[in-house]
Amino acid sequence: MEGVIEIRGLHKAFGSHEVLRGVDFTANEGEATCIIGSSGSGKSTLLRCINLLETPDAGQILYHGEDILSGHVNMAQYHARVGMVFQQFNLFGNMDVLGNCVAGQMKVLHRSREESEENARKYLRKVGMEAYVSAKPRQLSGGQKQRVAIARALAMDPEVILFDEPTSALDPEMVGEVLLVMQDLAREGMTMLVVTHEMGFARAVASKVVFMDQGVICEQGSPAQVLEHPETERLRAFLQSRF
Amino acid sequence: MPTASTSFFGWVAFLLQKYGTLFLRGTGMTLLIALTGTVLGFLIGLLVAIVRTIAMPRSRDPRRQSRAERVSLAVRRTLLRAVQILMNVYIQVFRGTPMIVQAVVIYYGAQYAGIYMDTTFAAIFIISINTGAYMAEIIRGGIVSVDKGQFEAAHAIGMTHWQTMTTVVLPQAIRNILPSVGNEFIVNIKDSSVLNVISVSELFFQAKSAAGAYYRYFEVYFIIACIYLVLTLSVSRILAWVERKMDGPDNYVIHGSQSDSRAEIVVSVENEKEATKSWKA
Ligand SMILES: Nc1ncnc2c1ncn2[C@@H]1O[C@H](COP(=O)(O)OP(=O)(O)OP(=O)(O)O)[C@@H](O)[C@H]1O
Ligand SMILES: [Mg+2]
Repeated sequence: MEGVIEIRGLHKAFGSHEVLRGVDFTANEGEATCIIGSSGSGKSTLLRCINLLETPDAGQILYHGEDILSGHVNMAQYHARVGMVFQQFNLFGNMDVLGNCVAGQMKVLHRSREESEENARKYLRKVGMEAYVSAKPRQLSGGQKQRVAIARALAMDPEVILFDEPTSALDPEMVGEVLLVMQDLAREGMTMLVVTHEMGFARAVASKVVFMDQGVICEQGSPAQVLEHPETERLRAFLQSRF
Repeated sequence: MPTASTSFFGWVAFLLQKYGTLFLRGTGMTLLIALTGTVLGFLIGLLVAIVRTIAMPRSRDPRRQSRAERVSLAVRRTLLRAVQILMNVYIQVFRGTPMIVQAVVIYYGAQYAGIYMDTTFAAIFIISINTGAYMAEIIRGGIVSVDKGQFEAAHAIGMTHWQTMTTVVLPQAIRNILPSVGNEFIVNIKDSSVLNVISVSELFFQAKSAAGAYYRYFEVYFIIACIYLVLTLSVSRILAWVERKMDGPDNYVIHGSQSDSRAEIVVSVENEKEATKSWKA
């Protein structure tokens, strides 16, 4: 199995606050990796470093074996290959649903409008939002927005998608529709890195579960291993607080 | 020719008849310089605001940098810093002095340097850079008002700073600041009157010459007060209408294949229940 993204010794501090203190792990091709951990443990920071929304202080982020911090990787191309879905959806408020899914394809991938729209519609159909192509984000519910955000990421035809707590800002009755879409993606073999508090989702969908605590990876392994047979006291305490 | 006993309204009617075209031409000039100045000022403000939001170039990884990279980084940082300082000075100076003073300093200053500006050109030039200084701050406020998540989402799909600005942030920033921009236009309609100090043939300047001819100051200034009021009220009505048009409705009605989309919704709701059940279990 090939590692699409490999993290080695990643460090990141905000001022004197060390948020990541040497993180190592590999996201394998075609696998869904779920990252769990208590609030403030550095999960978002890790994803944001992988996507270069934050600049790491030290360590390596290898994409197919190439260090993206070395300056030899084309950043626009890298961003197109690595999609991100945010907790707060972050849809472009000035564009309708279709526009949200078309903008990146045209601007970054230089696809024609026809090709971009066709591709966008394909993924909007996939997430069940095809009927809303000309709706504005403010006309949608949270769950609908997040499904559009997923379609927007998919429309770039990425190799990996990073999800940062995609259902945490949703009303409980909308969590299901989003998790369902993500489950489909995982089953189809999309490489996914998912920060989540939905333990049920992690158990059902993840190939690997990673437990972060205080800026380091404390335990990782199969869902059964990590969720049912925690080895460390910290993970046991975390899991207990969840159920 | 009215006599000394002619009533106020008699004089107004007479002056309107005699100087109507003059007032109209003055009104036209006022609108021309106010509108052009607002548009050009907006463009200046846009440029300044965009440059002021560019983040300082950062090194990706200081440990693996070549000497050439370090030098080029230092040069880019210094240049950007210098430009940003210049822009701050520009904003402070033009917001911190009255436009009437800016007008005489620029107009006579240019003559001092041997440049004799056409008064209309001078008027538009002065209003534009004065407005630009205010617009820069207004537009920056508009950019800040667009939530940071959208910048990040745009960067996350690989857009450059420029692409993010032009396709995502500015359209929303501009919508948000439209009331302030309209307000600048209205301010310019009124404040262009100070340009009479450099003999720009705008409304107030025309009124001054008309008033002097028969020594009817109150009547003439009363007339142009009414004209200014009509102009500003009409402009604010028009702008309010444009804003309403831009916003559109709050709800979305699904069009197209009704039966299909219904089916889709029903399916997704059922799936959702099932899914939630299985994850909860
Ligand atoms: N830009 C920033 N500047 C300063 N501190 C930050 C910044 N971003 C994050 N932090 C801090 O870093 C720590 C880890 O944040 P992070 O968002 O990665 O945690 P998390 O694991 O995602 O938590 P949560 O479950 O609450 O989302 C927190 O203490 C946070 O306050
Ligand atoms: Mg987080």
